[in-house]
Amino acid sequence: MLSPERRPSMAERRPSIFAHALTPLVVPHLAGIEDPLPATTPEKVDVLIAGSGMVESVLAAALAWQGSTVLHIDKNDYYGDTAATLTVDQIKRWVNEINDGKIPYYENAKLYVSTEIGNGKYNSRDFGIDISPKILFTKSDLLSILVKSRVHQYLEFQSLSNFHTYENDSFEKLTNTKQEIFVDQKLPLMTKRNLMKFIKFVLNWEEQPEIWKPFAEKSIAEFLIEKFKLERAQVFELIFSIGLCYNIETKVPEALQRIRRYLTSFDVYGPFPVLYSKYGGPGELSQGFCRSAAVGGATYKLNETLVSYNATTKEAVFADGSKVSVMEKVIMSPTQVNQNSKNVPEQPYQIHRLTCIVEKDCKEWFSEGESAAMVVFPPGSLKSGNKQVVQAFILGAGSECCPSGTSIWYMSTTEQGVRAEMDLDAALEAMELSILRESSTDLENDNDIVQFGMNGQTVVNSVRLGQSFKEYVPREKVHFLCKLYYTQYTSTPPFGVVDPSLFEKNVVSDKFIPGASDNGVLYTSMPSAEISYDEVVTAAKVLYEKIVGSDDDFFDVDFEDDDDTQAGPADNSNYENAIDDEDEDDDMGMGKNESTEFVGEMEI
Amino acid sequence: MHGVKRRQWSRELLKQKRIEDEKKIKQYRSLVDTVLNLKETQIYTKDSLKLSKEVLQWNPEFNTVWNFRRDIIENVKGQLDVTFWEDELNFTMAELKKFPKVYWIWNHRVWVLKNHIDSSLKIWQRELIIVNKLLDMDARNFHGWHYRRRIIKVIEDRTGKSNDHEELELTTQKINKNISNFSAWHQRVQLITRMNDTDEFENRKEFITNEIDYITNAMFTDAEDQSVWFYMEWFLEYEMVSKVLNHNEYTTILNKFQSNILIINEDDKEFSGKENPWCLKMLIIIEKLQTNLGIEIKDGKSKEWIAKLIEADPLRKNRYLYLLHEEK
Repeated sequence: MLSPERRPSMAERRPSIFAHALTPLVVPHLAGIEDPLPATTPEKVDVLIAGSGMVESVLAAALAWQGSTVLHIDKNDYYGDTAATLTVDQIKRWVNEINDGKIPYYENAKLYVSTEIGNGKYNSRDFGIDISPKILFTKSDLLSILVKSRVHQYLEFQSLSNFHTYENDSFEKLTNTKQEIFVDQKLPLMTKRNLMKFIKFVLNWEEQPEIWKPFAEKSIAEFLIEKFKLERAQVFELIFSIGLCYNIETKVPEALQRIRRYLTSFDVYGPFPVLYSKYGGPGELSQGFCRSAAVGGATYKLNETLVSYNATTKEAVFADGSKVSVMEKVIMSPTQVNQNSKNVPEQPYQIHRLTCIVEKDCKEWFSEGESAAMVVFPPGSLKSGNKQVVQAFILGAGSECCPSGTSIWYMSTTEQGVRAEMDLDAALEAMELSILRESSTDLENDNDIVQFGMNGQTVVNSVRLGQSFKEYVPREKVHFLCKLYYTQYTSTPPFGVVDPSLFEKNVVSDKFIPGASDNGVLYTSMPSAEISYDEVVTAAKVLYEKIVGSDDDFFDVDFEDDDDTQAGPADNSNYENAIDDEDEDDDMGMGKNESTEFVGEMEI
Repeated sequence: MHGVKRRQWSRELLKQKRIEDEKKIKQYRSLVDTVLNLKETQIYTKDSLKLSKEVLQWNPEFNTVWNFRRDIIENVKGQLDVTFWEDELNFTMAELKKFPKVYWIWNHRVWVLKNHIDSSLKIWQRELIIVNKLLDMDARNFHGWHYRRRIIKVIEDRTGKSNDHEELELTTQKINKNISNFSAWHQRVQLITRMNDTDEFENRKEFITNEIDYITNAMFTDAEDQSVWFYMEWFLEYEMVSKVLNHNEYTTILNKFQSNILIINEDDKEFSGKENPWCLKMLIIIEKLQTNLGIEIKDGKSKEWIAKLIEADPLRKNRYLYLLHEEK
């Protein structure tokens, strides 16, 4: 059954940037989207995976390419599960299902949708809302796997360079590169020096234990202030915007790891640390991996619920009465369980999310040519007296997730319980006020606020901006097209460093519970609060190892056309093109940068 | 090329590569023999032109063949139209993309531009845009900088107008992007010297003051980068600076540098327990400059700093011992 309410899939869109590529790209079709579902399921498979979220989809592709036969099902009529990108109508249904108790590990869903969506200016399908939005660091395990598996060819990526820290009622833009530090005229000389010293240190902090070991058990804030004499503003930027840590107590090694992640990602593909995928985040990526798995031989079926699995007979029974023998393992997302599942790992941690669609393009927050920004509200920066960070990921129309003139604000916090909603509301209010001020037109003539920098570039003095608007009462209001609030549960704590043990212990219980329908089933982890994709590959590898025995050949994909090196002078594929005068595409056609993995033998 | 990773070859791959290489070497050798033979016998034909190109695509380091190629072009010039010259430019560009650090390719490209059938100002200006793009890709390729100077020279000769101010601004931009861009600092030295000699500064004093701020800023941003220290030394010793500034102003500036460098060195010591050799070296230079100015230094620290240098930078111990000897 083809789902009637959904956005065009990647195969239907056929990204135009590949139209001029040398070998026309084929985006493989996916059953249930472009192709009808298979009439019958196979009788025997190696692995059965239930749920098509990020981890499950990466796992499906890895197993399919390793040679296992995979049956991948989802009880929903769309792909993505916990990673789905949904239209407004799909969100309505999703919220109802949560409140009817049909989607476990989500609760307290509240939704407001303006009548302008559906009956007015906008269509439900104009919007693609991620239920767990993510950003991709350019130096990360997932990115190398995207390249290696060629799944990146189905996707389009865009850069995100603007990271703001909310301080003194305004959004401070980060000063984080050597160049920015060097040319910044506001920074005192000694601060420049201290900041640079820290940035140099953190790039290979592990090799310098003499510097951080004495602080190993202390918080990163103490370390930065005592050892590097950094000021509060820089400390907050480093911990919360660059490191994307959740609170001030984060320990030194964890925080250093996270800060380094940002810095080493900077300038890999250009002057930005992260990418996000157009048309939707994890929803697109998981679908991409499903397509790859399908090419590798996996069978797909939507609208299929696993009712029970018998570990002794190895028989899995589905809601429609069909059966399959599973030779190796059954993998299941906690969202796909049925009534008699008794082995699901505990999901004690809450993530609270508030997602809003606003009728404002928010370009004030984006870098030129970009369409996304991160805003971080450090502890204590909000009216609610927040103890945990609130992270906001903003997507503009350029992301093709919303129509022009609108944007999507994704806010989330790791705060637990009732406080969380208060923090999110306070962050929303701060963002609302801030966008009204910054998009207000009488700003440009104020000489105190707009200054000209060393090379003639405009520098907006955000500190003054904050002060001069302290008393500002906006004349207009932000128009909300949609507001969505929900709580998600996960077994993964807000972590500092991705550690396989985080996922290991959640995967399986060895207990055999009489009457349980899921004895022997391996469980995947619900998405954590982490805003980046960093947990995905580690979590998928843990499961992969449990099934295959080792993770040595995890995505050890050998595409046949990889090694066709021909003899002859015209062949320059042996050398990394030192100078490439092709214009950089905003859309990061990463297809042509594939050689990140393949580099010439000659050092020029 | 900066930032290019070496490729790891597995034993299996290496073996396979050897076999393929052998084939290529054979092919290459016979081609080279043919072309050198043509050169010996002075066969200047379009055919020779084609073969010489093939050799150069294999091996752009073969300068003899580049020379031969130019001889052929000279001889068959009458038969060559605009397309040939444009193709020749495309050919050298394709080669530069692969081998950005081969002198002969850069050399040949300039020759092509000079002998181009339509060697107008326009093609030189176009060339400037191209070289700017190259420098954007790798701002630290000194070939690119050198080549750029050659282009600018031709443009300046033809327009009779100096580009120095724009050029200086370009070095600022490149340095802002990356303080460690030694080529850009070097270019800055060249430009300032020339602009001083040809009297191009509107206000020398203002320029000097700004430059001192710029250096100070750079030194605080990265006190381990040698380009900054080298440039600082050159600038403080540069005759224009001591001539334009009066005795008092110059002394004040030296003192200011001295105290800033002391702050940085102290800070380094507190952080890592080690002295910063660059700071020590510069302190010694400044003290020497002060002495040369006739300033009486009551308790000169140079000896102490040299002693510390020996400890902080033992690799150059003998050089410092020599300096210490000089001090006496």
